[in-house]
Order: sequence, then structure tokens, then C-alpha cells
Amino acid sequence: MQKSIWQGLYQKLASPKLTVVIFLILAAASVVGTLMPQGLGEADLQRHYSQRAIWFITAFGLNDLYHAGWFRLLLLILCANLIVCTIERLPKTLKIFRRRDEQVDPQRLAKCSLNCQFTSKLSRDETEARLTSIIAEGFGALHRLDGADHMAGVAEKGRWSPFMVYVVHLSVLLVLCGALVGSIFGFKGSMNILEGEAVSEVMLEDTDRGLNLPFQVRCDKFDVSYYDNGMPREFRSDLTLIRDGKEVLKRELRVNDPLTYDGITFYQASYGTILKDAEVELTDRESGAVRRFVVPFREWVDIPGTRDRAQILRFEEDFRRLGPAMILIISRAGGEPDGSWILIDRDFHGNQIENYHVRVLHATRTPYTGLQVKRDPGIWLVWLGFAAMLVGIGLTYYVSNRKLWVWAAAEAPGKGETRIIIAGRTNRNELSFEQEFNRLCDRLQAELGQEGGGSKP
Amino acid sequence: MITSSILLGITTFAYLLCALLYLSGVIFHRRTIMLWGSVTGAAALAIQMAGMILRWWESYQMGYGHAPLSNLYESLVFAAWAIMLIYLVMEYRTKQRALGVFPALFAFLAMAYASFSTGVNSKIQPLLPALKSNWLIAHVVTCFIGYAAFAVSFGISILYIARESKQETSGSAHSLLPDLRQLDELNHQMVLFGFLWLSLGIITGSVWADLAWGAYWSWDPKETWSLITWLIYAALLHARNMKGWRGSRVAWLSIIGFGCVLFTYFGVNFLLGGLHSYANMK
Repeated sequence: MQKSIWQGLYQKLASPKLTVVIFLILAAASVVGTLMPQGLGEADLQRHYSQRAIWFITAFGLNDLYHAGWFRLLLLILCANLIVCTIERLPKTLKIFRRRDEQVDPQRLAKCSLNCQFTSKLSRDETEARLTSIIAEGFGALHRLDGADHMAGVAEKGRWSPFMVYVVHLSVLLVLCGALVGSIFGFKGSMNILEGEAVSEVMLEDTDRGLNLPFQVRCDKFDVSYYDNGMPREFRSDLTLIRDGKEVLKRELRVNDPLTYDGITFYQASYGTILKDAEVELTDRESGAVRRFVVPFREWVDIPGTRDRAQILRFEEDFRRLGPAMILIISRAGGEPDGSWILIDRDFHGNQIENYHVRVLHATRTPYTGLQVKRDPGIWLVWLGFAAMLVGIGLTYYVSNRKLWVWAAAEAPGKGETRIIIAGRTNRNELSFEQEFNRLCDRLQAELGQEGGGSKP
Repeated sequence: MITSSILLGITTFAYLLCALLYLSGVIFHRRTIMLWGSVTGAAALAIQMAGMILRWWESYQMGYGHAPLSNLYESLVFAAWAIMLIYLVMEYRTKQRALGVFPALFAFLAMAYASFSTGVNSKIQPLLPALKSNWLIAHVVTCFIGYAAFAVSFGISILYIARESKQETSGSAHSLLPDLRQLDELNHQMVLFGFLWLSLGIITGSVWADLAWGAYWSWDPKETWSLITWLIYAALLHARNMKGWRGSRVAWLSIIGFGCVLFTYFGVNFLLGGLHSYANMK
């Protein structure tokens, strides 16, 4: 009973129909994944969808479809299908590959769907010589299997071609294995480093965790150049890697030119500026008192001459197209903190918090370089898979397995004529093989069929 | 002075002429007219090639210096060129001229859309840093050879279905066309060829993305749609080889596959966005 269930499952997995069905389901699922925005959080979902839709989306993981369990299950079934089909078919292909014809049976040749028969009027030796040389031109050298009273042979090209499909299947498995190894043993993240600063923590993607590298990355200098129209032309960072207080590597990092050290690869991904500190002028609207002082980014400072405190919470280079702006928070003694966007380059009447009017006298910016960081021990499997896939598909396209059998024997004793049977078979591109086969037969008949032969029509 | 835009303008009309010649050859049953179609197509291909090389040179004169494969306009031009090149090679090898109507028409439509649509910017633009790589040429060329092969296969599929539905009424135009079995075999060859180049295109893109961003696959809409296209054609090849599908069912799958190609190319840019959004119209 149990055995039959497993057998049934095995047979399902071995069916070529399943392959086609999985391809189509994967395609349909991927379509859904591109139409439905991916990576939406709980809050975004609440804002855009109804409760029922949210239930549906979260139940099927549609907001992170490509990592959803059922999508991975589909990939797993595809792998199982590939493996089972290989187990089922490879022995048969091997058997055909190993089988060498030991003799050629004229009756079987005559039954081939592609065959031709004719009579040569040339001498036996001449017939043999011409047959061998003409066949060798288009179908490869003739492997002779002569019998006592007849001449016979097989010519074959692309013997390896039936294996190429297994190479392609193996390549798909390699790529998926590589991806799996990478996701288990690797990591992907980013680090933003201020010019002059050294950092060892990587912010991991898809989590809010950080990861400490066993060395520090220092950005010695960051540089951007622009085209005339303002588009960035190139950006690069001069990096130094520091391990145990020693500089171990110095290199400039540019877009499309990553740096690998100790299995970890760094990519120049983005750049920007952050605010280091700002000198502000607060005017107390009640007393008219003016106070000037420097506020560092994200650090509370006392406002001189008062018991109030101030902090810069955020900075944007272009806030709603009004230019650079920052969020300044002022916490009054005994009250709730209050904050507002303050435009940095303009003395805007809305630059007010509590009873203060705020003016920014000077803002000190520091550029930072945005690096993408990753470790992927599975990448070599992926590259190997890609290479195998191209070789496999390429050879499937360019090389087909084509086989030609020839049999020739004296028509009747003493008559001097030779009866010839030729048959052919291919595993792909039958039509062009058929045309070539017919051309070969026409040519052979023309050259061998004439008395005295030799002169082409 | 001859500029690339003049040469590409001539190309556009040459493809129109080429399509009309092929069409009249089929309709009026005249092989000589179709031969003129082939000659026009080959001449247009040469002029277009000169135009693309000139545009490459012009971009160096402007100080940008990049291959003309960087935005929607340039990729459309290259697509037209690749379709015509693949078709003419096929024509030379099969000696079947009557199939030329659709490829020539597609080449014309691609050129016309690139040149006349107000949404397509034909100016030579500088490259973003992420695009400055030799992988750009490898990636775009391989992808578009694949797309072009699928376009030719799409044309063959339409002819197959049209021919099959009018099997009984042996119209005069039909005797010029290859028979159903030949069309089916040609279609299969073309799909396999396109599949090889699409795979190459996806792989070069993947290797490049790993070099530029450290992620060989990130389920970006363009990537995903190219995978969808790949899956459809993979399904076609398996249905044909393993399940023995032939003829109109394969032709319909090829038509669906080409629909995916078009969506990968246009739909994703206009509707979805993502990493490839630089290919957007601006």
C-alpha cells in the first residue's frame, strides 16, 4: 500500500507533463509578484488594502512572494522533477550511447523512414572508394562493419549531443544549489561610511540586525564628478582596510569594480551627505533675546542661558524641493519636546519652534560613501551553473546526433553491379537532415549509377 | 554633412519599402519583387549599421563615449537591426523569401516608433556610472538577439496559423510559402536559437548585476519578466520535445512568448519600474 503511494509520486515526478506545468505555474506566480508591490510592511498594507485583501496577501505571502514557502516548494518540486527525469532517462541514453553496431542488417535499413536504395554500375573497389569519400564529406568518417560478402559501415556525428540536455538540467540544479548555499552561509548588507571615519559594522538587509566584520573599513576620501547636465559621471571612495590596528589593504573603490578581501566583497553603491553640525540662532519672541550656538547631529545640547535643550533629529539635502532642511527638536524644561522642519538656506517665517524663531547660520556637511557588502560562498556554484547552461543549450542548438548506415553487396554474381542501401536518423532538426540526406542520395546515384561513372552531369 | 540621424531616418523608410516589396511579391506572386525586397532589406541593414557606428563616434565627439545601446531609442534601433539581420541570415540559408513580410514590418515599426514617438528621446545622453561597463554591450546585444529571434519566430507562427486555417483554399500566395512542416521546423529552430541568446542575455545581466550591486538576482521586475519569458519558451521546448507538440499549439505558445518579450521590453518600463528604470522615457 505504502509502496504504491511512493511509486505513484515517483511516476508523477517523472512525467514530462509536470515539467511544463511547473514552468507555467512559476511563470504565473512571477507575474503576480511583479504586479503586486513586493516588500510592503504591515503599515503599508493597512494603508492600501482592505482587511480581506490583507488576509489574502499575508496568507499566501504575496507581499514577499519570491521568498514565500509555496514558491520555494515549487522550486523544490522542479528540482525533484529534474532529478527523477534524469534517473529515468539517463540510463537509456547511456545504453544507446554505448551500443555500437556490430553489423548492418539491410532489411532493417530498408524499413527506416529515411532510406534510399540504388544500384552502382562501377567496379566494387571504385564504388567503395566513392561511397566512403562522399559520405565522409558531410556525415563523418565511415566506421566499417564489412561482412564476408558485403561492405557495410556506420557514420555518426554529434554522439555527445543527447547528453547536452542533462548538462542543462544539471546547470539549473547548480544555480539553485548555489543560491541556497549563498542564502545559508552568506550575508548581504550595506555600510555608510563618513569621509575619514572607520567602520566595522554592516547593516544586514531584510533585518534590523548589524554584523561586525573582523576588520575596519576606513573611507579616506570620497569623490564625485558630474556631467555638464548635472548627472553624476563617476563616484569613488579611497578605502583602507584595517585589521588589528594595521592597514592591510588600500584601494580605490568604483562603481562596477568591486573589492574582495577575506571572502567579503565591497561594492560602491551610493553616496550622500549628512549633517555634522549646525550653528543656529534662536530668537526668543517673548523676550527678544538672541542666542547663537552649535548643535551637533543627534546629540542634545543645552541652549545657553536657558534650561531648554535642542537636538537635530534628521537632515535632508532637498526637502520638498525647498532645499536643505533639518528637523530641530527643542525640549523645554518640564514640557514635551516639540520639533519642526527648519529650512537651512532660507530665513523662512515657518522656521519656528515653541517660542523661538530659528535661523541656521552655518551647516557643516560631511559626505559619506554608501557601500554594498556581501559574502556569498555559493557564487561559484552559480557561475559554474551558468557556464554549464550556456554550453548545454549552445551545443543542443548547434550539434545534433546524426547517424548514417550504409550497406552494399554484389547484385547478382558475375553481373558486376552493386546494390546499395543507405539509411539515416537524427535526434533533432529532422527537416534539414532529410534535405541533406536526399542531396547525398541524389549525388551518390548520379556519380555511381552511370556506366563508366566519374563525369558529373 | 551626414549624421547618424539622417542615416537612421533613411533606414526607417527603407524598411517600410522592404516590407511593401515583400508583401507585393507575395500578393502578386512575383519572385522578382521579393528578391528586390531582400536587396532593399540588406541595403537598409548596411545603412543602419553605418548609422549606429556613426552614432557611437558622435557620442565620443560629445565627450560621453559609449556604445549606442544605452536608452530606449538606441535599443529600439538595435532591435530593428537584429531582427533584419537574423531574418536575412535565415532567408539566405533556407531560400525562403516569402517569410520576409513580418520581420521587415517589425523592423520598420521599431524604427518608426523610435523616431516618431514624442515619448522616445533620441538624443545622445551620458551614461550613469552603474551603466559604464563593457557588460552593457554584452548584455544588451545578447538580449536583443534573443528578442529578435523571438520576433522572427512570432512572424513564422502567425504565418503557420494563417496557413493552417486556409489549408483547403489553396490560395495563390500560399504556394510561395513553405509548407506547414517546414514552417514548424523553422519555428522550432528560431525559438531554440532565441532561447540560447535569451539565456546568454539573462546570464550576462546577472553577472553584471553581481559586479555592480553585489546581487546576481534580485527579483527586479525586468529580471522577473525575462525569467517569465524564459520559462514560457522552456515550456514550449519541453512540450515539443517531450510531449510531441507540433504545429499550431507550438505556434500559439510562441505567440504568447513574444507577448512576454514585448511586456519585458515595454510593459515593465512603462508600468512597473525597478532597476532598469533608466530605460524609462523621459
